[in-house]
Amino acid sequence: MNIFGLLLLILLALMLCFAVAAVLMRNLVKAALCLAGSSACLAVILCFLVAPWAAIFELSVCSGLITVVTISAISLTTPYSKDEENELIKKRRARYVALPFILLIVGVVAGYALLNGQTGLMPTMSNASTFASFKEVLWQLRQVDILGQIIMLLAGVFAVVVLFKERDEA
Amino acid sequence: MMPIFTAILIAALLVIITGFFCLTQTRNLLRVIIGVEVAMKGVTLLLAFAGYINGNYDLVQAFIITMIVMEVVVAVVAAGIAVRVYEKNDSLDIRKLTKLQG
Amino acid sequence: MPASLTFATAALIVLPLLAILILNIVNKQAGQKIALNVALVVTVIQMIAVLICGSLLVTGGKGSIDFSVFWDMNANLSASFFTVDFFSLVVLFSIGMVAFISAMVAKRGVNGKELNFTNLLMVILLGMNGIAMVGDFFSLYVFLEITGICSFVMIALYHSKEGLEGAFKYLLMSCVATAFLLISMAFLFMQVGSLRFTDLTIALSGWATGEGDLFVTIAFICFIAGIAIKTGLMPFHSWLPDAYQSAPAAVSVLLGGIVSKVCGVYIIIRVLSSFFENIPEVGIAVGLLAIISICFGAIAAAAQNDFKRILAYSSISQIGYIALGIAAGGPIGFIGAMLHFFNHATFKTTLFVDSAILEESVGSTDIEQMGGLEKQLPVANVTTILSLLSTSGIPPLAGFWSKALIIIAVWQAGFHFTAFLAILASVFTLVYFLRLQRKVFFGPAEEHLAEVKESRGTLAFSAIALSVVTIGVGVLFPLILRFLQAQGLL
Repeated sequence: MNIFGLLLLILLALMLCFAVAAVLMRNLVKAALCLAGSSACLAVILCFLVAPWAAIFELSVCSGLITVVTISAISLTTPYSKDEENELIKKRRARYVALPFILLIVGVVAGYALLNGQTGLMPTMSNASTFASFKEVLWQLRQVDILGQIIMLLAGVFAVVVLFKERDEA
Repeated sequence: MMPIFTAILIAALLVIITGFFCLTQTRNLLRVIIGVEVAMKGVTLLLAFAGYINGNYDLVQAFIITMIVMEVVVAVVAAGIAVRVYEKNDSLDIRKLTKLQG
Repeated sequence: MPASLTFATAALIVLPLLAILILNIVNKQAGQKIALNVALVVTVIQMIAVLICGSLLVTGGKGSIDFSVFWDMNANLSASFFTVDFFSLVVLFSIGMVAFISAMVAKRGVNGKELNFTNLLMVILLGMNGIAMVGDFFSLYVFLEITGICSFVMIALYHSKEGLEGAFKYLLMSCVATAFLLISMAFLFMQVGSLRFTDLTIALSGWATGEGDLFVTIAFICFIAGIAIKTGLMPFHSWLPDAYQSAPAAVSVLLGGIVSKVCGVYIIIRVLSSFFENIPEVGIAVGLLAIISICFGAIAAAAQNDFKRILAYSSISQIGYIALGIAAGGPIGFIGAMLHFFNHATFKTTLFVDSAILEESVGSTDIEQMGGLEKQLPVANVTTILSLLSTSGIPPLAGFWSKALIIIAVWQAGFHFTAFLAILASVFTLVYFLRLQRKVFFGPAEEHLAEVKESRGTLAFSAIALSVVTIGVGVLFPLILRFLQAQGLL
């Protein structure tokens, strides 16, 4: 294994740790920050997997914008009263204790299956030049997706108007 | 398969499972959003890996960028609904969503 | 490509966008006033455009038309673009019809929210048209998300407690479903290197022999899980009744009539008939989920006390029939599923319009509080009976023919017991609908309902128009059958 592989492995482990932490963290703000960390790791991994543009979007939008959205939602709400919280902490542990074990078992089983199983997968690893460049792909091959993105943003705008702008009469 | 590819696949799988586990266990509406986002991270990794394996990097980049746009809008709408629920119920507890049953 | 065809196909995408533009450029008061009328015009034009496309397809003798809207599609052959064939035309027509009815219902129902409702209706129309026309798995996901987002927001339109709760549950399940679909896409892409339906069909025909390839198997499982959640098939149905019940009347017409069908069962049909058809296990899995949904939906519907909730469980059961037709395979099953799709859109929309009438005149949809409304609500009474009979498959109404085709297809495929169960569930459908009818319309009149009067207006008009379609399709069915035979589809 070369240095490239080692680095990738560390990043994958880090990403998984951040993801698990985001789920296990009791404090929601910290959980959101862990999510951002996981997202940042993913961005670097994407760079390794020859997807630099996707990495930029992942870093700025997922790790930035979504964190902002979640944290503003958290700050608009107060989750529990003190008593409820104390009671919940005990129950939380019981509910989430299974997660590491599940991950361990699934990881081992999947690793065994993948290393020994028959997968017709042939990594072709052809060089990128046989395919159209990224700009061409996005603007010519994926026109329908671009149209879809525009419509989705329209949907998002109307959603925000309905959910945030309109106040209740009651 | 090469070990490093196996590692990427397993990591993606485990991240997705973590997200879904969160969805099944959580009692908090906002943590639902976090769970969904975590699962989506795993899916993104899986897609990027698929593109890397068969050399279609550029197509997969276009996919991921589109996916990220969708993800953000979903997150905003989910947060909006959660905040509204909080205003109505004074609580983010999922167990208090019991108006509809039968 | 003739000019009329270009206009007709482009109208399906450009027109709703134009409507959104116009409604939001004019000032807000004017927008509120014209909003629903604009929606009505757009949906009527959509129906006309679909008919034009259909007639051009027939005269041109082609199976499908490819087109793009704003860009030049000749630039690259592997570009993703829209494509319409007979089946998507049926779906597009149903979408136009149900959206039209929904706007009609909204004329009486969405106080002060006309503009927001219409904006969302236009976007959801775009999303559903997109689903019906894409030829690429990933674009399908994009339009699926658009449709989903609009439905969540429409359910929560009034910020009512129930609405927000239904919207959040739907959102949660929908996110899980799209995650599964994306995993399926990733594994397919890993193997094939493209997500266009045509490429996938070619690539996967090689897997027909059933070599147990791990990744393709995972892709199938994830696809079935994701789509079963989206469709509301039996073990994954929990969100569906909540969403239907909590939505405002005009929205539940739209959701129950078309959205959940386009998002779920249409995709099953499209995908199964294009690229999973060589793999028998997928058909069997879908068929199993379908028959469970048929039986469970029928039984659960009998235990409900809310008009809309009964309709929701009945939808689970009827969607099961559509999926069953597809799982049975063969041209008869396909045509049966296609027709049942259209018929279900008609009669379920009628029933939701009737629930809107009840909601308006009685003030609730709880059937325990009703009784003896036969005289006071004559239109609702007659149209409910007609659509209930059509749902249960009583000849000569439309529902009979499509159900008969589906059951014949299942019988021919050799699943005799399944066909028997499907017929039995159909009889049971009659039972729970008779219970509904007895509680709401027949029997002694309740005192507190003596003042109830039916309003003559858009609601009654919609219910009557849809019933005419149900009867018309049923009576003219032999003609439709002959037309399909002439086209070589059957």
